Amino acid sequence: MPPNPPDQAQRILDALGGVDNIVEIEPCTTRLRSEVKDAKIVDQTALRAAGAHGVVVSGRVVQVVIGPSVDTLASDLADLM
Amino acid sequence: MAPGYKHVRVRDYLRALVAQELAVGEAVPSERELCDRFGVSRMTVRQAIDALVHEGLLVREQGRGTFVAPARIDMELRLVNFGDDMRRRGLVPGGAVVHAETVEATWDVAEALELSAGDAVHHVQRVRTADGHPMAVEETWIPVGLLPHMLDQGPEHAPDSIYAALREAGHDPDWGEDTVGASEASKTEADLLDLGAARTVLRITRRTFAEQVAVAFSRSCYRADRYTLWVPLSAPSPVVTPRASAGATV
Repeated sequence: MPPNPPDQAQRILDALGGVDNIVEIEPCTTRLRSEVKDAKIVDQTALRAAGAHGVVVSGRVVQVVIGPSVDTLASDLADLM
Repeated sequence: MAPGYKHVRVRDYLRALVAQELAVGEAVPSERELCDRFGVSRMTVRQAIDALVHEGLLVREQGRGTFVAPARIDMELRLVNFGDDMRRRGLVPGGAVVHAETVEATWDVAEALELSAGDAVHHVQRVRTADGHPMAVEETWIPVGLLPHMLDQGPEHAPDSIYAALREAGHDPDWGEDTVGASEASKTEADLLDLGAARTVLRITRRTFAEQVAVAFSRSCYRADRYTLWVPLSAPSPVVTPRASAGATV
């Protein structure tokens, strides 16, 4: 597994609306499953640009398709939060 | 016991018989035998058998009786090709290409493969068989750029395993996502799958990746009377929460 792009976690966090918009984030095999306070400020285009292979929004749950590197991404996110 | 539950007793008895004693294709006891054994009416026995026929555990053959249906294949959704999976189960895999050509990607295929609509993709539709019985209809799209010569020899030479072809070309499929639904087979699918009255199929849509590259997109329909899905479960990973949130006031 190649390392994640160094700024991927920051870009994904920004696209999800920043730390202030996050309730929780859970790595889920191939997806980052995040619960946000306001799904309307999530920037799907920016998520794609940061390497997401898909975005599935359902209410306040935003799932970002990342692949198996999601675990390391989640720990990078934890460092930023 | 409440009268309404009599058929449940008969049904559970038959279910245990199928699970523990009878082999595929063997007859279950006749309606008369079941009536005598449980002291219930023929209607009650029929109700029990109907439920199991409906579930796909038993098959009724007009004028002959009721028999144990072929076991369903418990399929785990993994990145394995059909042939290897069937061989491991002791079944002889086979299949026929129904259709194979290089086409322009429609928007949905393009989106799944992270291409632009109109980009060239190989499209292969095939019927998969196990021991000669049709099991699934599978349609796959592959970006032409990854396997430029895949269909050069004609549709009948489309590779048996697209994953193996991708691997040889250096695009080793290593992860993907499946989406599973259930619906009725279309007329064409029902013909290809040799379906009778029961037309329910499992529909599996798959995106396959080699690292960050989307290498294949497929839509398959599996006979619901021959497959069950087996899904390993595990507890969720620890969640990440904003550090400040514990003490934050809004």
